[in-house]
Amino acid sequence: MANQTYDVLIIGSGASGGMTAHTLTAKGIKCLMLDAGAPIDYDRDRVTRKVFDLPYRGFGQPGRFPHVTQADEFNANVWADEKQNPYTFDPADLYYWVRVRRIGGKTLVWGRASWRLSDYEFKAKDHDGFGDNWPISYSDLAPYYDKCEPMFRVSGRKEGLAQLPDGNFIEDDSPDSESMKRFIGAAKQRGVPTTKPRRATGALASSLNLLLPEALATGNLTVVPNAVVRQLTTDKKTGLVNGADYVDRHSNEEFHVSARIVVVGASCLESTRLLLNSGIANSSGVLGHYLFDQFYVKGTVQAIVPEARDGKAPPNLMGGSGYIPRFRNIESKSKDFIRGYSVDFGSGGSPGARYFPLYGEALQKALASHRGTGFDATTMGSVLPRFENHVRIDPVVKDAWGIPALHIQARYTDNEFNMARDAMNTLAELCHDAGFELLEKHDQMVPPGESIHELGTCRMGDNPKTSVLNKWNQSHDIKNLFVVDGSSFVVGGSQNPTLTILALSMRASDYMAERMRAGDL
Amino acid sequence: MKRRRFIQSIPLLYASPALYTQSVAYAQNIAKIETASPGAVGEPVARFFSAAQLAALRRLSDIILPRIADAPGALDAGAPEFLDFLVGQSPIPTQTLYRNGLDALNTRATAKYAKAFAALDNTQADELLSPLRKPWTWQAHGGELACSTCASTLMPADRFAAFLQHAKADVLTATTNSREWITAAQRTRGGGGNGTYWLPAE
Repeated sequence: MANQTYDVLIIGSGASGGMTAHTLTAKGIKCLMLDAGAPIDYDRDRVTRKVFDLPYRGFGQPGRFPHVTQADEFNANVWADEKQNPYTFDPADLYYWVRVRRIGGKTLVWGRASWRLSDYEFKAKDHDGFGDNWPISYSDLAPYYDKCEPMFRVSGRKEGLAQLPDGNFIEDDSPDSESMKRFIGAAKQRGVPTTKPRRATGALASSLNLLLPEALATGNLTVVPNAVVRQLTTDKKTGLVNGADYVDRHSNEEFHVSARIVVVGASCLESTRLLLNSGIANSSGVLGHYLFDQFYVKGTVQAIVPEARDGKAPPNLMGGSGYIPRFRNIESKSKDFIRGYSVDFGSGGSPGARYFPLYGEALQKALASHRGTGFDATTMGSVLPRFENHVRIDPVVKDAWGIPALHIQARYTDNEFNMARDAMNTLAELCHDAGFELLEKHDQMVPPGESIHELGTCRMGDNPKTSVLNKWNQSHDIKNLFVVDGSSFVVGGSQNPTLTILALSMRASDYMAERMRAGDL
Repeated sequence: MKRRRFIQSIPLLYASPALYTQSVAYAQNIAKIETASPGAVGEPVARFFSAAQLAALRRLSDIILPRIADAPGALDAGAPEFLDFLVGQSPIPTQTLYRNGLDALNTRATAKYAKAFAALDNTQADELLSPLRKPWTWQAHGGELACSTCASTLMPADRFAAFLQHAKADVLTATTNSREWITAAQRTRGGGGNGTYWLPAE
């Protein structure tokens, strides 16, 4: 094993690392994958427990995950430990950095929403003059979306919308419930489009089961869990990367491994941190800058369908979920924000106790009366990429392996706040038009980072002075270094990013393999 | 429903004389041993709140979720004692919110009725709990940001109202996640309390 040089070293085993391994190994390229996290046996490592048999009765250990609202006592062990993996931020600019360090990465727990970006994102600047365009167009990525959707068995309904291109779907022709029809009808009246969710299906839709097993079956992939990469190493003569220093997660023993090409797919901010700690790929000075995500307004509206009270809903009244694609600033122009937002909505939930200003027996009666009567919607808004939102290496704080931690500085601005208010008012109107009773509406965003859609800190571009990567996810500075995760995004839109990350990493891998064949890498 | 009743309902296995003869089956096939969790057998001991605070929390818990017909209430589920443990483990802002909130209940009760909160009748207690009868809003209550682990800067300005909203949510969760509630709910409407637990990484 020692002194072996691999063709390609891949750092990270999630969506982007997994797709890179899947694509390259199929072409006969020898890959080594390092991941900082533990391996996982999906059947053995997950067991059924009663909530009252958990030590904290389902509340979870207090203070264990101050910045991971997704963590509950059942899934707590999935998330990266915050004490072992610290990061810093100014208390005035709270940032929730949510990480998974296990083989499969965040694809073990993702929401599976699978949307394509469109030229409203790739060529966003052409529409409103803000920021930069991507160096690629929708047509460059479409063939890769076409391949990724069947691999992840994405279901959806074709709509022919320019801002949300159709894909290679398992057709979702399920009927809508009556309450959904009322909401969809109200939306149509106001020119607001709706569609079915587009979502990866199957018992598990992860790199762990959909990408890594096939890659391993080629015999061309070695997966090494528990390998925490400290830094990438470079050849002093050529300036190329030649491998990585890494640490055994358990023993802290240090190792080095060599490779002809290094692909970083450790998640947006971990990849950025690794490059910053390695002191490479930053001749532009923009590495770590232009951090953005999608802002979330969870439960923007919580309404009830009055006819469903007291269990009186006919069988076809309640249930189902849907999606409002971005519709602002497509044909018309909003007065106080550019770009737009999307909405997830669902019928048939039960409004929580907080929505009822009651306690005691009256509260229990209200909860029983409203069981299954709920209609709720969550807003996911586009965030403008801004240079000043950035990450840098914290001068003091280090992780459990002595690797310098990140300092994160991000803040939303009026464009996002105005968008959130528009979403709240629009959704409240739609609920009213649909005959729903509104219990609560609000436009309070969760802190930056909580959507787990962090993007943009190794942005791609044609100009090496203003971008870290070229249009092939390849470092402008170091031609045998690729960064394939969400850090390469230039503009993110309001769509969940995973499908685009899969398509980009597949495209970058095809390019890599072709350049290797040509003897250029 | 007393916790003790559940313990009594677990069939007790006494070693019968036959077991003194070791069977080959037990020697060869290692059996899985069925066990109970610590919370299943003992009565919780409150250690964090003062006696006056705990008395107020018990009364508040009983008001938020009383026993209704056959359904166990917060006191049957040991919710106040569990919250004494949970809050005692929690970050300082949560501890402060609870201690100050419970003290405020007693102070307000004494000022208005010259009694501790625990000694108020329902009408008197309702007077003090008026913030719980105002509609909840994200803006006024910090939404999920005002969770038990959040930074104190995100807590809403009205700390007493924030405490009551926290306590309402926590008492409800502590009760409806309890063995007592779930066992009763299974009888009445098929609750289960099961979840998929991810074991720690090795």
